Order: sequence, then structure tokens, then C-alpha cells
Amino acid sequence: MKKSSAYGAALLSVLLGGGALAAGGYALASATPHEQALDCKITSPGNCSITISSYPDSAAGEHGKSGGAHPDWVSYSNDNLVVPANTTVHMTIDQYDSGGALNNSFFSHVWINGAHGTATYQIPQTTGSVTKYGAPQTLSGWNTNDIGHTFTLRGIPGSGTNLFVSIPLPADPATNSVTVGDTTYSSPVIVQFSFKTGSKGVYDWNCEFPCGGSREGQFGYAMSSFGYMSGAMTVQ
Amino acid sequence: MSDKQSNGYKGMFFTWLVMTAAGVVISLYAPARLMPTSMSDNMHLTILTMVIFSVSAAPVAALVYTVALHALRHWVHRGEGVPAAAKPVRENGVVVTSWVLGSTILTIFLLVWGLGALAVDNGGNGKNPLVVNVTGQQWLWTFSYPGTNVSSPTLELPEGRTVDFHIRALDVTHGFWISNMGVQVDANAGTTTEIHTTPNALGTFDIRCTQFCGLNHAFMVTTGTVVTPAQFQQWLTSQSAKA
Repeated sequence: MKKSSAYGAALLSVLLGGGALAAGGYALASATPHEQALDCKITSPGNCSITISSYPDSAAGEHGKSGGAHPDWVSYSNDNLVVPANTTVHMTIDQYDSGGALNNSFFSHVWINGAHGTATYQIPQTTGSVTKYGAPQTLSGWNTNDIGHTFTLRGIPGSGTNLFVSIPLPADPATNSVTVGDTTYSSPVIVQFSFKTGSKGVYDWNCEFPCGGSREGQFGYAMSSFGYMSGAMTVQ
Repeated sequence: MSDKQSNGYKGMFFTWLVMTAAGVVISLYAPARLMPTSMSDNMHLTILTMVIFSVSAAPVAALVYTVALHALRHWVHRGEGVPAAAKPVRENGVVVTSWVLGSTILTIFLLVWGLGALAVDNGGNGKNPLVVNVTGQQWLWTFSYPGTNVSSPTLELPEGRTVDFHIRALDVTHGFWISNMGVQVDANAGTTTEIHTTPNALGTFDIRCTQFCGLNHAFMVTTGTVVTPAQFQQWLTSQSAKA
């Protein structure tokens, strides 16, 4: 082989190899492990609302009626939330699961945009077969030993707005049952709160109640897999 | 030694000299610019150690590159068959003595410097240190200040006062890293690890987890701020009132 041909072949090999690496990297970077997006509905200029649920299993959320690969794992109804930038998000969480003790009392307090804040909650009350909800009560914290789950959203340093939000979701007292899809649960505790989004970006949230089982700190299984007790919040 | 050989060694020496000089210059300027801005004496010592070690390594690295370049350029057999074996280097007393002696001196220097830096890092923790309890768990850091009811997802520190971090984990092993302060230690479940530093510059810094700890390890990052002692007291008071 002539020297010039050898150099040409070597250059081509490098370019092809580099191209293959770049294509693979781009494909990986573009891939998302999350399910279909749930958009925050604009209710007025600068405001939007979004509702999700936390279930004691995976039969009523995005995994379908069969519950997917792990029907007995606890889950949030959606793991891919999309909200507008620089907007006040009014969020409602219907909490259907029972509870227990946190391993860090820090998460028994309500945190909104990086500071102590408040939410509201409504506990279902039953009289015979009738379930009623009273007026929303102020929630600034909850009994550390009676937490169902938490919704804990992390900010990203340097992103401009302190997005840290952590809401303790009281354990469901197991009252009259309601049907969600094909599944029957006890009536949920309803928690509502608002926070302000800042600049665009993909942020990450998860539950900080040890509900995953398996490993140290009970953060395995549902806590350590996409699509159950964690998710992404895309601010766009 | 033939003239050709002699010229070859002179050329190698010149190449080594130029590369060493370039390495020393890069070592003097690059670490301080590539590493995070120093906000404590620990970090200053870390950067200085990096500079000293890089400068010390420059002549060794230059020698390796010089020999590699010279071998690629001159020690190539283009004729037919296998060339006659050269005289083994291990029989060259000057080379072996220089290599062993140089390596020994360099290693002892690095060891002494490293132990000295470690002793300074682990030295006295100052009067009236501020204790901060650091808790790592999947996948958040939380900070509490004993003697108060304040806990926070971000870290607030006063300038000029020694801080004693009491670090623990609630689940798996995490790594508590304040890059700007030269503080990096594992957070282990079931035990409390102590490390201290004294912030000496106002500003913000990032805190990251350095041990792969599961699904959202990459997001286990938060911010800290060094403020004046008066601002720190104000912050404590305001947080205490809200808690």
C-alpha cells in the first residue's frame, strides 16, 4: 500500500470511529427513561395546575391496569411532569397509600422554593358509607411516624431559582374505598401546594419516605427504578 | 561513543530540557486555574500540593516523552531480518544508579510533603468551632445546626470560623465533597465522621456526592454560602423562627 493511501485509510478509520461514537453519544443523550409527559395546564397568565397521585401499587398509574413488570411496587401516577418556566405551579397530590416513619425528620416539614412553607391537606372522613372532605387545613409539617410518601423536588445549583420543594404526604387513614381505573383503594388524602418555577431545565424529584424495601434504608426496588417513586420535571 | 550517538543524546537532552520547562510552566499555571477557586486554607494547601507534585513530575514525564519520541524517530529498524540486540540498560551503571537515586529522592519528597500536608489538614480545629451535622441519604444532603432547631437543604457558613462537620449517612455510602474548600470524606451509615475547615472567602459553592449511590446520584448536589458572621447569625435567627 502506498504511504498516501495508508494515511487516507487511517484518517477515514478515525473519522468513522469518531462519527460512530458521536452518534452513539447523541442517541444516549436524547433517550429518556421516563413515560409520557403530563403537562401542567395553564389556568391564568403565570399560573398552571397539575395533579398526580401516589398509589400503594402500580395498577392505576402509567404502568397500565396490569401494573407492568412490578404490579406490587408503590408508584406515583406519572413520572414525567412538564411545567412552564417562571410560572406558579399549583400542584395537587392524591395520596392513596398508608404510611410509617421517615428515617429523617427533615422531610416531615413543608419546603417551598428552598424555604419553610405551607401546603393544605384534606383527610377523608367517613360516616357510614359516605365519605366527606372538610375544608382544606394548613400543612406546615406532619407527624414523622405517620408519613405516606413525600414529593421532594431538587433544584440545580446555579439555575437561578431555588426550586427545592419537599412536601410530606400524610398517610391515608384507610377509609371508604374508591375505584381508580379497575383498582379499588381507600379514599385519598388530598394535598395541595404551590411553587414558582425559574429557568428552563430538567429537574429531578423523588419520594424520601423509605418505601422501596430491599436494600439499606429501604430505598431499593420502587425507589431505585425509573417510573415508580421518582421522576423528572421539565421546566420549559 | 560515535559522533552520531553523541549528537543523538545531546538532542534527547535538549528535547527533555524543553519539555521539562514546558511542564514546569504548565504545572505552575494550570492547576490553580483548572481547580475550583479556593475558599479555605485546606483548599489552598490542596492547590499548592497539586502544583508542587506537578512540578516534581514534570522532569519525569518529560523523560518518558523524550525517550518515546526518540525511539519512534531514531530507534526504528528498516532493514531486513532481526537486528542485533542492543546492550541491556540494566548493565548501564550510570542509568540504573541515576534512575534508582532519582526515584528514591522524588518518592521520599512526595511522601514527606504528603504527610506534612495531611498533618496540617488534620491539625487543631480552632476555638469555638461551629458544629454542623451533615446527613447524606438517597439522594439529598441535609444540614442541621446543633443547639438550634435549624435544618436546611443548603449549607450556610460564617467566614473565618472553624466548622466541624459531623457526617453520617442513613442508607448507603455517600461522599461529602465541598470542592472549593478541599473537603472530601465518605458519609457512612452507622458511624459519624468528623472533618473540619475554616472558610476564608465569601461566596457560594457547590456540594456534591462523590460515591455512586444509586438512581439519582447525579442529582445529589446542593449549594452552600459563606457569609459574614453577622449575616450568619441573622440567617440562623430567621430560620429558627420559621422552623
